[in-house]
This record gives sequence, structure tokens and C-alpha cells, in this order.
Amino acid sequence: MAELTVENLHLTYGTNPILKGVSMVLNRGEVVSLLGPSGSGKTTLLRAVGGLETPHKGTIRIGDKVVFDGDNGFEVPAEARNLGLVFQSYALWPHKTVFENVAFGLKLRKVSSGDIASRVKKALDELSLGHLADRYPHQLSGGQQQRVAIARALVYNPPVILMDEPLSNLDAKLREEARAWLRVLIVEMQLSALVVTHDQAEALAMSDRILLLNNGVIEQEGTPQEMYGNPRTLFTADFMGSNNRLKGRVAQVLDGRALLEGPGGWKLWGRARPGATAGAEGTGMIRLERVRIAEGPGENRVEPELTTSMFLGDKWEHVFHLGDTTLRAHSATHLAKGKHWIELPREDLWVF
Amino acid sequence: MSATAADALPARPSPLSALVSWRALTILVTAAAVLGPLSLILYQSFLTAPFFDPTKQVGIGAYEFVFADSDFWKALGNSLVISTGMTLIAVPLGAMLAFVMERTDLPGKRWFEPLILVPSFVSPMVLSFGFVVAAGPVGFYTVWWQGLFGDAPWTLYTVPAMTVIAGLTHVPNVYVYASAALKSLGSDVEEAARVAGASPFRVALSVSLPLIMPSLLFSAVLVFFLGFELFGLPLVLGDPEGILVLSTYLYKLTNKLGTPSYHLMAAVAMCIVAITFPLVLLQRYLLQGARKYATIKGKAGRMKELPLGPWAWAAAALLGIFVFVTVIVPVSGIALRAFVTNWGFGVDLSEALTLDSFRFVFHEPTHTRAIWNTVLIGTVGGALTVACYTAIGFASHRRNDGWSRFLDYLVLVPRAVPGLLAGLAFLWVFLFFPPLTPLRTTIFSVWLAYSVVWLAYGMRLISSSLMQVSPELEEAGRSVGASRGVISRRITLPLIRAGLMGSWLLVFMIFEREYSTAVYLLAPGTEVIGAQLVSLWQGGAIDIVAALSLINIILVGIGLAIALRFGVKLRD
Repeated sequence: MAELTVENLHLTYGTNPILKGVSMVLNRGEVVSLLGPSGSGKTTLLRAVGGLETPHKGTIRIGDKVVFDGDNGFEVPAEARNLGLVFQSYALWPHKTVFENVAFGLKLRKVSSGDIASRVKKALDELSLGHLADRYPHQLSGGQQQRVAIARALVYNPPVILMDEPLSNLDAKLREEARAWLRVLIVEMQLSALVVTHDQAEALAMSDRILLLNNGVIEQEGTPQEMYGNPRTLFTADFMGSNNRLKGRVAQVLDGRALLEGPGGWKLWGRARPGATAGAEGTGMIRLERVRIAEGPGENRVEPELTTSMFLGDKWEHVFHLGDTTLRAHSATHLAKGKHWIELPREDLWVF
Repeated sequence: MSATAADALPARPSPLSALVSWRALTILVTAAAVLGPLSLILYQSFLTAPFFDPTKQVGIGAYEFVFADSDFWKALGNSLVISTGMTLIAVPLGAMLAFVMERTDLPGKRWFEPLILVPSFVSPMVLSFGFVVAAGPVGFYTVWWQGLFGDAPWTLYTVPAMTVIAGLTHVPNVYVYASAALKSLGSDVEEAARVAGASPFRVALSVSLPLIMPSLLFSAVLVFFLGFELFGLPLVLGDPEGILVLSTYLYKLTNKLGTPSYHLMAAVAMCIVAITFPLVLLQRYLLQGARKYATIKGKAGRMKELPLGPWAWAAAALLGIFVFVTVIVPVSGIALRAFVTNWGFGVDLSEALTLDSFRFVFHEPTHTRAIWNTVLIGTVGGALTVACYTAIGFASHRRNDGWSRFLDYLVLVPRAVPGLLAGLAFLWVFLFFPPLTPLRTTIFSVWLAYSVVWLAYGMRLISSSLMQVSPELEEAGRSVGASRGVISRRITLPLIRAGLMGSWLLVFMIFEREYSTAVYLLAPGTEVIGAQLVSLWQGGAIDIVAALSLINIILVGIGLAIALRFGVKLRD
């Protein structure tokens, strides 16, 4: 069942269009990520759902209740939408204790003080914050503040919880732990969550579905596996991972496969993506981790010059030059200077 | 690139001695101008007669006399009641207005901001007079009300009425601090409250206003303190019924004994300073606290105004009533009164209209001189004052030594001395030091007193301009070899030019508005409109007071219009 439905949403700041017709659905118990570069409109979409921005066209429904309808100017104010929102900055009220921060939403819902105490305690315990109830926000670490912000958004059981870059204020190491922890929490509590992020790894790890926004429209949506393994557009392919990009000319398109010819005479077969036409310019794209160092010549192999190697700890990353094209690849071991054969498997190379 | 011998030469530093003496001179002159008059009051208060009287002796007789006077205690009581009451009115109202103006989508609110600030730019003497002619026993609004509904349910000449008017006219003082604090408060904490289910009113009450509590506390102390400075209002509204506050008690002492009773006045002055000085120190302490607090708040992001929905009517009514009562009533009263021969029951407005008051004002040399002096002291005087303030600002800019801290506290001292006392103190300085006496009857005396009285206010303007210059720009100057003096003149000064122009405009408006400081300095040659109004009001020349008041409002209005035109921030 759809907890949140957005249809054809348009939103403009002055004359600057931010959202240009976005539609999406969030089902019960599902985590959907809004992913995109900065300026793509992902935060604006989240804030529009929360009632903090006013679109000028489209509809937003929470459950089966319409909360925004651009056609007849109907808008339910933010405070009446009964959503949970976790702010990027956490936006904890510095003059209230942790307990008071979490209790505020219940107080506004006229819950009796006995019930408030027990529900806040339960929410804090679930997030292992029970011992911090009497602290003020500035006495907490970043990770603790983040959990208080989540507890505050969850405590009144909103049907949908909105999270604006919930992990971006944590430092890199803590962020990876929090990512796993947040995913477990969302699954265990069967929350329906809409999460904004600009970090593709975070989106892949946390979501059931990803909506990739680009310039105010949805570029592609799908499961993390689809988004990563089967991108339909160059933008999606480029955004979702670390890639090698090869510029060339499409020589031939045959049975869903395309032959890309590059300057210097290299020829590579790949999977044809929508838009790849024979005779036109084309771009080949392959994930870094799919490029293989090969022993000798063979199908879909090229022989570039090794320029430099970097040690990354768990592996080496090598930078090759093939004419003007730069190729990067990983290997477990160090490589000697000079020319090497590398393979770009035809199943892993996309031609756009 | 190889360095030649010439490249390697350090830039020639300016002589260190000249630099030190320039700064020392600035500090010395400031200290003399601030501490001289104050120590004279202190000295005078421990004499048994005026300082020029050969029979004077050192003693505490003056204090004994004052403390034995029941009027003194009544005046002190009234001052306390009015100060407390006006704080209780001004703080909640100023805070709510700031929230409405800063945070909500009330339509047309931008037009209201200058109107809200008007009471802080119009002379209190003029405003009080405006209330009398508009809503006094035979004021315009009173007479109109009586014509429509019968007896007017208000009266002006009581302590509660004075408290309400003082409270309303001090709303801008709270408003500027509350709205500055709200501006720096990130909107995310408010949005979080809305998403949690709070209505706009609830957001204000539970989140926004508690978070700016340090600023509200500061402005509460400020308003309470200003209550002890009130002079024009109790003089105009309290005097008819014999209601005294500390400042009017002091003023009445002048003639109480028939002979100059300087020692008694000094004793009362010291009593007032004993109350105000701790309040000034408290304000300073609270202001620092408020700044510290500002740093731990949420992040300021893109702001969406809170939709008021049905609350819009309540907010508009609050704003409308405030502006009507506090600005429109007194100003329209004065504007009307200046153009009628007389006013009362049964007078037909169309028949009473006249320009006689203005004809009289422009034919009377003392009045034309007062207008000319007022313009002069605001423009030329204001520019000189800003120049002096800038010099003092540079003397402590980016220096963290004992002298800077001394200057810091020094500029605070005049804040604790109400204008009336400062004027008195300067009068004594001019009489006490024979070399200065010839300047006594020139406008210089008034200018000096004004500049010292507004030192703290002016220094805040200057230092906020100076603080906007990023330290790197000055450090870059040093790294290429410029001395402090050269950096000040060639880098910092040009960068703060716009800020100084704005300060000049604000000082102009303040000087047009000032009245109490010039009261004791009033003499042929030193007339300014403000002091002239006090003197004329005592003489009962209502027509002339109305005409001069209107001219005063127009002068302030010109300043305000220029400030708005050039986008000068009306608050520091």
C-alpha cells in the first residue's frame, strides 16, 4: 500500500524551476532514497512533502489523504501532516533536554504526561539513548544528536519518516557504522522512510529503491542492483559508481550489442544502451572494478601504457593511458612500468 | 626569480613614537571628556554648597537633605514602578512584533518596519507632547471620541498612563535586539517544531522566543534602565498632576531653594548613577552572554516564512494597533496642532486652520537659531562626532592590551549618565574651568555633551563596521610592510567608508532627537530645538511647541528617508 504518493510535482523559486514534474510512490515498510547531485532538487522534494516548501503544481498524498493539490490551491500546513522529519543539521532545540526534545511532539498531540514519559523512554531505549534523557543537545556527540533527532521524529509513530542527509554531519568512519545501524533500525521497526542523500554508496546500502534526480526530473528509478548494474542513461551510469569513460564512434549495433571504435584503432564490444546508434558518436562506460588486468591479447582487450600506480590499502589502483583516453583499474598486486594488456568484458561495458 | 638588494629592503616603518603618542592622545582626550564631568558631579555631591560658593565645605549634607525629602522617595518609587511596568509591556510586545516581522508571511509587513522604529527616532519630548495634544483632556482624539461616544475612557496624567506610553514607545528598543537575534537563529529548529505538529503561535512560544531569551533578557534590562532616564515624558505628563520621577525631581530642584542648589542636584545625580551604572554593567554582561549563545544554534539555511493562516488577522491587528497608538496618534496630533490657532470643544477645525505659528517661529531669532543649530549639530557636528568615534575605534581596533580594555569600559561610562545629568555636568565643567568658559555660550558646548552622551551608541556603530573588515585584509597589509597607521588609513578606513556614512546618518538622527542633554546648556547662542521645547513647554507656549515639534519631526524624517533610500541599516 502506498504511504506517500507524489504526482507531477512542479516547484519554482522565483523564475528558477527546481522540480519539473516529479512523480514517485513510497510503499509501506519501504526505504526510498532520493539521490542526486547538489541542485538536483532532492532536498526540495523532501521539504515539499514535509510542507516546508510550496509547489505550484501537482499533488502529494499521504496514505489516501491529499495534503497538497496544486490545481485547487489546497495545502495542508506542515504541522497538520503528521510526518517525522530528521533534519540534516538535526535541528535539536538547544534549550530543551533530550527528553523534552523527544516529548514535544507528543505534548502537542495532547498525550497524557504518564504516557509521554513511557513512550519517550521506550523511544530513547530503542536508540540506546536512555541514559542521556536529561542532557542538553550540546552535551552530546554528533552520533548521539543524530539518534535524538531520529527518536524525536519517530516517537509519535508518523506513517512516513523523512530524512534529509541524515548521515552527512557524521565523520567518515562513524558514517559507515551509522549507515548499517540505520538500515537495521528501519527494517526492524518497519518504517516507511524517504531519505535524501548525495552519496551513492549510502543510497545503495540503505534503500529498497533509489530515485535518481537530475535537474528537477527523475532520471531513473529502481532497486540498488538495477541502478548500479543496469543504468539506462549515461548520467545514471556515471553517478552510480567509479567509472572509466571511453569516447569513440559506434561502428555497429547488433542484437543489443554495440561495437565502439576509438581513436588509435581500438575496437570494443559492449551492451548497447538506448540511444546508441550506428555511425554516431558514442561513449563507452565500465565500472572500475570490472576492468581486468590480462596476460596477453584477446577479445575486448587493449594494451595501454601504465602511467602511475597508487596503493589504497586493500588493493592497488592503476592509471593507464591509451592515446588520449585515461583508464583506471584495480589489482591485488603491484604492476611493473610499461605496457599491459587489460580486458573490458563485453557484458560489463555499456555503450551510450 | 632572484632577489635584488632593493627587493630585500623592508618597507620603512613609520616612527613608532608618533604612533604611540597619537593613540595615547586619543585615549587621554576621551578619558578627560568622559571622566572629567563625572568626577565633578561626584566632587560637587560631597560639598555643602555650590562649588563656586566661598562658604562651601566638604560633607555629606547634600545627601542628608535629599534623603530626608519625602518627594525624593516618592520620585524614586514612581521611577521604579514606571521602569518595571514599561519593561513588562515593551518586552513581550517587542518580542511578538519581531517574530511576526522576521518569521511570518504577514502581507505588507516590510512597509511596517520603519514605522515600528519611528518612536526610537522621534524625540520623547515631541512624542509626549503629541500624546497630550492628541489624547489629553482636550486632545483631538479625545474631543472626537467624546463627540461620538461620550466620555473618553482614558486619562494621561497618571502613573499607569505614563507607564503604558513609556512601554509602547520603548517597544523598538526590544524589537531591534529580538529581531537581530531571530535573524541569526537558524530556521531549521522552527521547521522541526512545525513538522512535529506545532502551530505558528506555538512555534514562537516554545522554540523561537525561548531561544532568543538571552537577547530578550538583555533588552529587558535595557528598557528597565531607560526607565530611569525618562525625562520628557514625566515632565509633560507627570508635571501637571505633580507626579515626579527621579529626573524631574532633579530638574525641579534647580529652583527649589531659590538659589542654585548644585550640591543637592549632584547628590541626586549620584543616586541615579548608582542605580544606572550597575544596570549598564549588567547589560554588558548579558550582551556577551547573548553573543555566546548565538553560536550554538541550528544552522541558518534557506528560509521559508511561516504561513500564519488564520493567525494573520491577530498579527495584523497587533501591528496595526501598536503603530496607530504609538506613532499615528501623537504625530498626527502634533501635525494638526501646529496648523490650528486653538483647539477644544466646539472649535471648527476648518476655521481654526492657520500658519501663524510658523510665521512666528520664523520671525523669532531664538527659534530660527534653534532650528539652524539643530541642523548644524546634526550635519557638521555629526560628521565631526563620527570622526572622533572612528579615531577612538582605531585606538582599540585589533589590539588586546590593557588600554583597549580601559577604552572599552570608558566608553560605557557615559551610558550610565542620563542626558539631563550629562548636560548638567558639562555646564559645571564649563563654569569650573575658566579656560573653557568662553566656549560655554557656543554650540560647541552642546556638541561636546552630545558626543560624550552618545559615545557608547556611536562606538557600537563604528566597531561593528570595523569588525566587518576581515583580519586577513589587514594582515596582508602588514605582510607587505605597512605599519599599523598606514593600514588604518589606506586599507581599513576606505573599506569601512560606507559604514561610516551610515553611522553619520544615524548620529544625525540621534542628534536631531536629543533634548535632555541640552536642557542645562540652553543659553543665547546654544539653542537647539529639543531644549527649546522643554523651556517653551514650561512657559505654556503650545502653538510654538507644536510648530517646532513638527519641524523637528520633519528633520528626523528627512534623515530617515535618506537612510531608507540608501539602505542604511536602522539598527546596529
